[in-house]
Amino acid sequence: MDNIILKLLFTLLGLFIVLNWGLLMSAIMQKIVARVAGRHGIPFYQPWIDLIKLYTKRTAITHGIMFYLGPVFRLGGGVGMFLFIPLIYGSEYFTNFSWSGDLILILYFQFFGMLGMALGAGEGGHPNSVIGISRGLAQFTTVEVPMTLAVISIAVQYQTLSITEIVAAQQGGILNWTLFTNPLATAAAMLSLLGAFRHAPFNLVKAPNEIPIGPPTEYHSSFLGVLRTNNAILHVIEAVLFMNLFFGGATNWFELILKSFLIYFWSVFVGVVFPRFRIEQSVAWFLKVPLVIGILAIIIFI
Amino acid sequence: MDYFNIEYISIVTGFLLILLGLFAILTQKNIIKIVIGFSLFDTGIHIVMVSIGYIRNRTAPILDETVNIKDAANQIVDPVPQALVLTAIIIGLGVTALMLAYVLKLHKEKKSLEIQNFSDLKW
Amino acid sequence: MVSPIHIITISLGIAFALGIFGNLPKKISAIIMLIAIGAITFISAQWAYALYFGNAETTQIFTAGFKPPYSINLQMGIYEAFFSLLINIIGLLGGIYLFNTLVKQGKNAIIVFLILIMGLNVIVLTQDIFNLFVFLEVQSIATAGLIVLHKNKDSISSGFKYMLATGIIAGLLLIGIIFSYYFTGSLNIADIINANIGLSKGGAVAVFLILIAIVLELKPFPANGWAIDVYQSVKPGFAAIISAGSASAAFFVLYKILPIVPENFYNVISALGIITFIGSNLIGIKQTNTNRLLGYSSIGQMGLLITILGLSPYLGDKLTFIAFAILISHYLAKAGLFWLSGIVKQQNIKNWSNLRKKPVLMVLFGTFIFTLLGFPPFPSFFGKWELIMQLSASGQFIWMALILVGSFIEGIYLFRWFSNSLKSENSKLPEIKISLNKFIPPVIFGVATYGFGYFAGTFVEAAGAINYIPLLFIAFIALIDFLPAWTKNTISIAGVIAYIFYLYPSVEGDLLRQIFLGIFLGGAVITLFSGYYYKGKRLGFYPMALAMFAGLAMLITATNLFEILYGWELMTIGSYFLLIRGKKSLPHGYSYMMFSLGGSYTMMFGFALAFAGFGNLDLQALSGITVYPTLAYSLILIGFMTKTASFGLHIWLPGAHGEAVADIHFMASAILLKAGVFGIILVLLGMGAEAIYAKNILFVLGWIGAISALIGNVAASFQESAKRLLAWSSIGQLGYIVFGLAMMSHLGWTAGLFYTITHFLYKGVLFLIIGGIALKLGTPLMYKMGGLIKKMPFSFIAVLIAIITLAGVPPLVGFAGKWLFYNAIISEGFYFQGVVVLFSGIVAFLYLFRLIHTIFLGQLKDEHRNVKEISVWLLIPVYLLLFAIMIISAKPEFILKPLGNYLISYFPTGALTWNETMVSTALGHWDGYWIMMIVGVMFVILLAWLIITNAKAQKVKQFNMVYAAERPFRPETTHMAHNMFAGYNKALGFLIAPYVTNFWNWISNFVYDTAGFVRRIYSGNGQTYVLHIVAYIMVIYFIIF
Repeated sequence: MDNIILKLLFTLLGLFIVLNWGLLMSAIMQKIVARVAGRHGIPFYQPWIDLIKLYTKRTAITHGIMFYLGPVFRLGGGVGMFLFIPLIYGSEYFTNFSWSGDLILILYFQFFGMLGMALGAGEGGHPNSVIGISRGLAQFTTVEVPMTLAVISIAVQYQTLSITEIVAAQQGGILNWTLFTNPLATAAAMLSLLGAFRHAPFNLVKAPNEIPIGPPTEYHSSFLGVLRTNNAILHVIEAVLFMNLFFGGATNWFELILKSFLIYFWSVFVGVVFPRFRIEQSVAWFLKVPLVIGILAIIIFI
Repeated sequence: MDYFNIEYISIVTGFLLILLGLFAILTQKNIIKIVIGFSLFDTGIHIVMVSIGYIRNRTAPILDETVNIKDAANQIVDPVPQALVLTAIIIGLGVTALMLAYVLKLHKEKKSLEIQNFSDLKW
Repeated sequence: MVSPIHIITISLGIAFALGIFGNLPKKISAIIMLIAIGAITFISAQWAYALYFGNAETTQIFTAGFKPPYSINLQMGIYEAFFSLLINIIGLLGGIYLFNTLVKQGKNAIIVFLILIMGLNVIVLTQDIFNLFVFLEVQSIATAGLIVLHKNKDSISSGFKYMLATGIIAGLLLIGIIFSYYFTGSLNIADIINANIGLSKGGAVAVFLILIAIVLELKPFPANGWAIDVYQSVKPGFAAIISAGSASAAFFVLYKILPIVPENFYNVISALGIITFIGSNLIGIKQTNTNRLLGYSSIGQMGLLITILGLSPYLGDKLTFIAFAILISHYLAKAGLFWLSGIVKQQNIKNWSNLRKKPVLMVLFGTFIFTLLGFPPFPSFFGKWELIMQLSASGQFIWMALILVGSFIEGIYLFRWFSNSLKSENSKLPEIKISLNKFIPPVIFGVATYGFGYFAGTFVEAAGAINYIPLLFIAFIALIDFLPAWTKNTISIAGVIAYIFYLYPSVEGDLLRQIFLGIFLGGAVITLFSGYYYKGKRLGFYPMALAMFAGLAMLITATNLFEILYGWELMTIGSYFLLIRGKKSLPHGYSYMMFSLGGSYTMMFGFALAFAGFGNLDLQALSGITVYPTLAYSLILIGFMTKTASFGLHIWLPGAHGEAVADIHFMASAILLKAGVFGIILVLLGMGAEAIYAKNILFVLGWIGAISALIGNVAASFQESAKRLLAWSSIGQLGYIVFGLAMMSHLGWTAGLFYTITHFLYKGVLFLIIGGIALKLGTPLMYKMGGLIKKMPFSFIAVLIAIITLAGVPPLVGFAGKWLFYNAIISEGFYFQGVVVLFSGIVAFLYLFRLIHTIFLGQLKDEHRNVKEISVWLLIPVYLLLFAIMIISAKPEFILKPLGNYLISYFPTGALTWNETMVSTALGHWDGYWIMMIVGVMFVILLAWLIITNAKAQKVKQFNMVYAAERPFRPETTHMAHNMFAGYNKALGFLIAPYVTNFWNWISNFVYDTAGFVRRIYSGNGQTYVLHIVAYIMVIYFIIF
């Protein structure tokens, strides 16, 4: 019993670290983007200020029960992924609840939040929300194709779908990382990551110019606060997933922070260089080079 | 073999008539001529039938004074085709008559005897 | 017993008497004629009865006191008695039917009619070949005489062509007879047979002439223009007599003289028959005139019968049964259809929809059509089955294929006609007036088809185990069809439940069959229960629904291949009538039927190949087929895949299901499609995965499944109609199942069967809810809906849970399916197919979001402000299904564990291992119970947190939203619904370009154009027809000699 409570406490601690790191990381990234554009950018503590402001707003309106539940689903999705993913390899406590499922669980659990959010935003009734969602879903279908190929490739390579075992197989030196043992799968997955993180050129889901901020259009105050909280967690978690699969995982918090930063930075880096795709372009893009790389990643194992 | 005997000539004539009749049916446009062609065709068949039953140097299968009743089987030709041909002629007559009745009706309908004018039903 | 000679004496006597005592009132003359026909019917019936039960022996009647060859002799044996009975019955009933016409045409017509019937009798009875010629001529003249009495210009010209053609044919026959006499010295058929003249060259020519004349009497394609014109132009009542009576007699003549024909002619005879069967039916496709169409069909059927006679050396002792079963079906159905044609009085087959105004006639029409096509329970089904099986056992595969092709072509036009009459607009057509004398004959024949169907079933060994109780129950429900729907519904549910209890012991211990019994009959109870929503009578619904379920049940309990096909066809009929109930279902129901028909024929072919190798029809025949195994398995699988609507065979489904109403949609999609799955399972279990051909087939099957999944899901995303969306989604989901089964491994099958069950659950929910909403709002178009969550909260929750399950999002049970798939494809090496399947799984999000959003979320439309929740009768079964989903979500082992135990006997390796609630494979692991708990607790905590921080949130009205400080104009312009994934369509729309539809359209256009081209040989000119006959004889002569 003590064990479970201890485990819960450590999980909460992990969540707290991940949340704050996520907020900080997003501030840093925004700053980088601003500097590239020749602006000064936000102070690094801006995300905390925003969160506090949002949670303490006096007025809040709701469009109905699903609208109300949307952010809960969304945050549930983020926290759930956090719970099912092992953070620190070798740590007894920071592996969370990852024993209850494998990689497939993570891949499908990300839909939990997306779907709930989509429905909540849908009840908001704002056409911009739905336009954003329909674009997001459309893009996501093909983003997943190279990712699926990469996952199959590494599952064949390591003969397991358990994240912990995949990380374990990469221990013992940088050359054991999937990045080097299976560069094709890594390449396919990293291209897919660009779509998953939704920075330019794949950021038309929130497309600030045409459909300001996309799905969350109708959300404000603590609803938006919940969504922001989730974003911070999710960014870190997704980066951690890629870290575990391709970059040897992390054995301590410092390694986790560094690697997740670099993985996240990859998408920001591409984002500041390239302009935005239209939806049909981005949908098709993932079925070209990334798909071919993904197929090659499997062919080498046949 | 002697080609100029009676059965040979008659059977060839019969077949020629059959072909002639068929030719008339297939080429003539006037339906009365077609019916005549049919009659020729029929007649040809009848001649063939009779000539099939013919046996050289024998007489008609009628038991009269020329035929010895006790030896009839060796003196007359095969009676069966002759009986058959009678029936066939009667039937042919009936068919021809009915055909002509049709011709009358057809003429009444369209005031025409050209066979191609009676092809409303097709396909 | 009355001597058969009195058939002739009575007829002739009465005919002469009517002529001599001429001026009786016409009605009395007609009645006297009917009495005479009744008397001769009695004579032949008496003989048939006595001979059948062995109370009498075949009797020869010698005329004039001599023995043949010096006299004409008649023979009364069992066959003669039977055919003479057929002729007399059609004479009697046809006479009753034509009563008014005969009375109007007067004494002569009455006499000629009687002579015609007598002539046909003698044709059957006589053993003298010249006598045969004479009475063939009598029959021709009588027919022509009756035609000329019709006094319309078409009948006269066709009568003339008829005379011309039959005259030529008779001439040929005569030449043949005289030459055969020349060689044998006898006119007695038995003597000619004994003389065996076919051996000499001259004798063979004589035989050829006799044979070809008799074949020409049967109106072979293409030398039959003269006969078709007659069918078209005479009164339908009379055409019935030609088609059923004269044709049967002519067929019997062919049967009678067949022993004269040398063996080496037989193939030519079958070839002539099959050319007629296929050619005549092909041309029928283009035909729109009812009677001409029936003429083509009649001649086609005769072609089939000729083929059967030609193939008799291969059919062994089954020949009689096969020929009789097919002949009797033709006889009853064709006469019935001609009679109906005379009642409907519509020349164009498109105008037969007024038949719907008289349900009894409609039922008869359906009965006759299905009889002709060889569906159970009609005799032709049994006949065709035995025919195909016997041919296969003798290795005559080409003939089998040709016969099935011809049957299919016949189905094309008969069904088009039938479905038109079921669905076409009929408000402008006149009412059908019907007199009793025209009504009784078709009713008698209609009832007789069922009787003979039962009777024929008793001759087929494999049909011994068929359970007639459900069929009787269906008949009972059909009889009480006038009662309101809820009574029939209650009785039906009780019946199905009773049947479940009755069947359960037979499937106990066989998990596979238990699962499908649950889906088929458990599903039946659920859907029937939802049927209480319907107010009114729902005419015709219950018998058909029950027929479908009975067919499905028969599939489960089938112990041999015959029963499988029987159940399959029964189910097809039932489901066809259910699917076609939709308002716009006409083309889709038709296309469904075409695919089903084609599928059942390919299946029959495959079964026959299995039978050829195995020697009997047990289900084990499916394991290790030795005769052309690749072909056999492929054909059987194609047959089953017409029901799973797999890629290539799927184009019927979106329309057919998309137009069906709520509970029918459930039956058709969630239940009916599973029949195909069951079939595929049976085949794959038999086939195994070891042989080379098995590997090839499985490879193709796997790709078919994957592509079906992709096409189905992508297409579903672009649908505007919610029902079509679900229909396409079914194609995709069935694609998963087929793919899973094609992996032929423990995990693959677990996934496939697991999907089979869960698809039933969540799709059932969706069909009922969406169907109910479409019913309520009067449209299935999603962009016309929106914002219904506030009006139909219970529906919303149900749909929400269903789509989460379908999408495979944890923690609900759909995820188990995805997880199994991932593990299976990685461990089995189906990588690329697997990626296609997984990609399709993600595409599913598009249509699922579209479905729930555009219906329930977004903007409520003004006209829906007052709608209420859908009928509670639909919600109750829905929530039962949801309950099941929730249970197996928390406890997936309830299904997965027994499934694993069952499959382990087929696939011993790669099973799932269980550690309490944790399930794992060699690759991964997953704990449904804990995931459910973790997600549940987390969700509750987060919700609580949001409620605490957001306690003051207040509800606002619909249009109160961030809209640049403006109010949106209307709900319609604000509801983002129409063409929702336009960008996606631009990028990937090419995937669903209708290649397959175009392919099938191309095929059907090709067939139609061919038919249109070929039928131009019927120029309408009598001379051309004679030319056809002459050319026909020449060609065949040169082929034979």
